Amino acid sequence: MKDKRMTLKEAVSRFVKPGDNVGIGGFVNIRQPIAICHEMIRQGFKDLTLSFQSAGMAPELLAGAMMARPDHCSIKRIELAYWGHEAFGLAQAWRYLAERGMIEFEDWSNYNMSARFKAGAMGLPFIPTRGPLAGDIKNTSRTKIVDCPFTNRPIALLPASNPNVALIHVQAADMYGNCIIRGTDATCAEISMAAAHTIVTCEQLVSHELLVSNPKDIMIPFPAVDAVIHVPFGAYPGACRRHYYFNGDAIREYLGCIAPMVKGGSADGLKAWFDENIFGVETFEDYIEKFSTKKLIADQLAEAYHCERLA
Amino acid sequence: MTVSTDYTAQEIIVVAGAKILEDNKIVFVGTGLPMVASLLAVLTHAPGLIPVFEAGAVGPPLKHGLPISVGDSKTFTGASYVKGLNGAFELTQRGFADFGFIGGAEVDMYGNLNSTMMGDFPAGYGKPKVRLPGSGGASDMAASCERTILIVPHDKKKFNQKLSYVTSPGHLDGSPGARQKAGMQGKGPYRLITTRGIFDFEEKSKRMRILHTFPGETVESIQENTGFELLVAPDVTQFAAPTVEEVRLIREVVDPNGAFVKRAAK
Repeated sequence: MKDKRMTLKEAVSRFVKPGDNVGIGGFVNIRQPIAICHEMIRQGFKDLTLSFQSAGMAPELLAGAMMARPDHCSIKRIELAYWGHEAFGLAQAWRYLAERGMIEFEDWSNYNMSARFKAGAMGLPFIPTRGPLAGDIKNTSRTKIVDCPFTNRPIALLPASNPNVALIHVQAADMYGNCIIRGTDATCAEISMAAAHTIVTCEQLVSHELLVSNPKDIMIPFPAVDAVIHVPFGAYPGACRRHYYFNGDAIREYLGCIAPMVKGGSADGLKAWFDENIFGVETFEDYIEKFSTKKLIADQLAEAYHCERLA
Repeated sequence: MTVSTDYTAQEIIVVAGAKILEDNKIVFVGTGLPMVASLLAVLTHAPGLIPVFEAGAVGPPLKHGLPISVGDSKTFTGASYVKGLNGAFELTQRGFADFGFIGGAEVDMYGNLNSTMMGDFPAGYGKPKVRLPGSGGASDMAASCERTILIVPHDKKKFNQKLSYVTSPGHLDGSPGARQKAGMQGKGPYRLITTRGIFDFEEKSKRMRILHTFPGETVESIQENTGFELLVAPDVTQFAAPTVEEVRLIREVVDPNGAFVKRAAK
């Protein structure tokens, strides 16, 4: 096994290329790869395809960057099930880009996307599911409805998704890329296994011996991972089980910078947000430093209350 | 039981949703008001309800209150079974979910739901008038749960003969055996809860039928606000207004921060 520790800067510049299909881990605003997205925006990206089941802030940041700095960041296509923020509101950048016809997209469901990543992870070209047998998803996606050769009943075949690079945030990893995930597994293992390369950020970077003390806890195995970066608060202002709960104010504040643009308003507020929080800082740690210690502790305490444990 | 005089449209939906849920059933719960209604049911008549959340939690006791996401940490604490999305949906596709509980933006007379886009389809798919979040897990629940319970705000523009986009298939075109012919499983939409009443889908025609009117509504007023002809059950009754205690539970215990149940403007 190889030591895969490196800086976020190095990982993004090595593994995210123009035109890549980028698989995004987490679920809505839980364990989204926020720190990785910040670094991608700082370095700039071109003609990406984003693939995810349900996502919130990760695509909202990448797409917001495209709206604020189209010369520096661009997304070509999105394959998704849901882009929104549940209790925190609608995805403003999704509305902006889709309603203006600025990106291609392909609608799937959560299970469709998860099964597509699973097919990719199994090394198979497609997977049968019952999801899109009726309704319009089959009409606006690459779904093929066939008669099952064994039962003769209709079944939907979905193409595997094999991203060029997976962006994943986990609770704990070792230097070789073995990962432990708490709370929802989301589809992180499948995306990592399906992708050609995987960048992992983690709340805790621990010794290999400790990480594998219960080997069945390993959710993502080392061969699937190319870069490991220790980034506490790497999914913030989203939530990460056992570490911190949502900072809903920060999510709503960011959405509030994009909302005026949906109605034809100026990009000034959004540009200012990016200048202050991403382009104006060197690292994700500098962004986290902008939050008050009191707020960060409050979000940690809220989460500690949800999953009470002895220290 | 004292009847509430200041309940909101969302609060009566939540109370109706909770009452439709049966104790000890496995319910696949979508985001938003279905989560609120499920928690109210657990706190009232259905303490043995087994919620499934699509991010992968099965059967949590929800002791820490209302999840604000279907992947919220609160859905995992104390859960009986914890996986990811594939785990939850495979269990559902295998046929273990008694109910799917989902919301949508637009519905037709056969209980087909739209949560994808508003506008001209298919020509305008790539550039919709209004882009909605997308299916999430709703279309999977619609295809595989034994029965589904739907929530849609009741508005003439949202109750249409033809949807902009069919995200979550219900009874399709209402023809006999349509769901099974398409390869889906389960009996399809069971109840629809709106801001004006509760509906079922008539056994033979699978068409939307008024079952209960909410206080202040009549069969006529509901029909006036619906873009297609509704069937009317032979014994339509009025659904009782929420009690003071139910409204207190929603405001003080279930959703004290107004995450999904918006507070009425004072």
